[in-house]
Amino acid sequence: MAPELSTVRKSILPQGGDSWESIARRELPRTAEADAVGMLQSWNLHVFMRAAGGVGRLRGDNPILPSDVIFVEPPRA
Amino acid sequence: MYDLVIRNGRVVDGSGMPAYAADVAVQGGRIAKIGRIEQGGAREIDAAGKIVAPGFIDPHTHFDAQLLWDGYAKPALSHGVTTIVSGNCSLSLAPLKAEHRMKLVGMFNQIEEMPLKAFREGVVWDWESFSEYLARIRKGLAINVGQLVGHSVLRLWVMGEAAMERTATPDEIAAMQDLLRECLDAGAIGLSTSYVDMDETLKPVPSRYADAGEVDALASVLSEYGRVLQIVPEFYDPDLTIARLDQLAELSLKHSIPTTFSPLFVSADNVDAVERVMARVDEQFARGARVWPQVQTRPIDISFTFAVPSLIFIRLPGWYNVMRFGSPDEIVEAFSNPESRARLIAEATSQMPLWAALRLRQVASAANQQYVGKTLTEIGQMRGVTPLKAMIDLSVEERLDAHFIAEGMGHNQDDKVGGLLKHPRVHIGASDGGAHILSFSTYGDTGYLFGHFVRGAGMLTIEEAVKKVTSDTAAIWGIPDRGLLQKGLVADIVVFDPAAIDRGEEVFVQDVPGDGSRYVRDAHGVDTVIVGGGVAWTAAEGYSADARGVIVPGAVDVAAELVAA
Repeated sequence: MAPELSTVRKSILPQGGDSWESIARRELPRTAEADAVGMLQSWNLHVFMRAAGGVGRLRGDNPILPSDVIFVEPPRA
Repeated sequence: MYDLVIRNGRVVDGSGMPAYAADVAVQGGRIAKIGRIEQGGAREIDAAGKIVAPGFIDPHTHFDAQLLWDGYAKPALSHGVTTIVSGNCSLSLAPLKAEHRMKLVGMFNQIEEMPLKAFREGVVWDWESFSEYLARIRKGLAINVGQLVGHSVLRLWVMGEAAMERTATPDEIAAMQDLLRECLDAGAIGLSTSYVDMDETLKPVPSRYADAGEVDALASVLSEYGRVLQIVPEFYDPDLTIARLDQLAELSLKHSIPTTFSPLFVSADNVDAVERVMARVDEQFARGARVWPQVQTRPIDISFTFAVPSLIFIRLPGWYNVMRFGSPDEIVEAFSNPESRARLIAEATSQMPLWAALRLRQVASAANQQYVGKTLTEIGQMRGVTPLKAMIDLSVEERLDAHFIAEGMGHNQDDKVGGLLKHPRVHIGASDGGAHILSFSTYGDTGYLFGHFVRGAGMLTIEEAVKKVTSDTAAIWGIPDRGLLQKGLVADIVVFDPAAIDRGEEVFVQDVPGDGSRYVRDAHGVDTVIVGGGVAWTAAEGYSADARGVIVPGAVDVAAELVAA
């Protein structure tokens, strides 16, 4: 039997058409959506605050890419 | 009579077993005998006092463009490297339709810092398919090449511009699978993908628009051939790296394929990161997955001028945009105009410790020679300005031809790096050979391994170090017939002096097509490099036309014959 993996910070890969809101609803259903979106964005600055989304784009307006890792909990202590 | 006999050396055969005294004979490109050899050779090499080892294998390079004008991958071969893997990080030069050539050139320029002029003046674009590209680089090939297929170019071929906009449809994924099979049949060593890179307009590269299902489908094709998947994870963050290596482990287990991720750096900013990542690697290997982290030997030193975009400014958007999109006149203007200058200074002030430690490498003008070799702190004191302003002023005075170096940016804690290099589940690689040519020399990492970590720090034995960069690498990548000194195997051999092998000083040379320049390092202590039984380079005579580089593993039918032989 394969050894158990230790627990690491929980993450997901996006599903087709995912947005911060849809991930918030699916992964953090017990949190108000606006709060959940804010939490997700703060845990995923590598996506939310990517340096740029292309010429003329601004930080924070990056779409979630299909390959992005999205953390659904804060960093572990 | 043998073709070649190497006499009186100590054989370190790549297996990790202790060195022993023996002669080595080569016949017909293969090792004919190891032991006491009475018979003569058409050519004889006296290796007294030297090590005779398998040629080194560098698994992470970007020589894709350079191989079009330089079949030796200079100066990598002179360092004892007889096999390179190119096409890493989702970028290869094939398969590539004519209409996507400039798109790919832009990506190579942005990600690998390969000058646009080198492509314009050094490349005749006479291929589209993967097999046509391999046929092209085979002409004059002196070093062995394992060529990866870039995931981004697969997407571009199948999806066109949509490759940078959306996920693929089932039909498009099937087309990518077919195209990958065609490449693997032609001799590709595997597939590479990237989760971090951006193109020349700072948009994510095509591979980043792929969902997990697409990568899984491509991994299933790799499984048919037993080939490798290479990725670039978000290496700056251990949580992200762990998430990616878990993703790789699932692919490895599901499809029974080897996978590798690069790079894994030791960072002073996050001292526990490497331990956490390696603990996870150990857990995944215990499950039966193959997830090989690649670790480079050299510390991170980055040189730059403001004439070309440098990754050192990637986290300063104002600066990076000026460098990326500005002409030389516009960059000088941005540094001279009081308003834009003030904005740039304000953005960069938080990183004053970095600027303060920068050292001026070279300038063109006679007036500023007095500052060469000094830190910006010292220059600032001499000029009565801050280090940051000194950097800007010197760049304006030199019309951007002021070269600075940031030394010891990371990966320079010997105890941690040496421990990693010795680790049985660490793959020594990530040299980036042929890339970032205006930022640092990507040649000589093997010299640094032997000079610094074997001879200097004593953290690895010479047998361990040779094994790490020969048979281990060949085994991980499925390269048949190489990586060991054994009777019957291909004669890729390096003869070196264990008391002298090292990398030389980093120097700036102009040898890139289009009057381009790059940083390189000479080899120290390497005596002779043999590829496919032919002498490719000697310290006394330099490069030779006798080298016999090939594509590895080669086309599927050829590779099968080699394994059976």
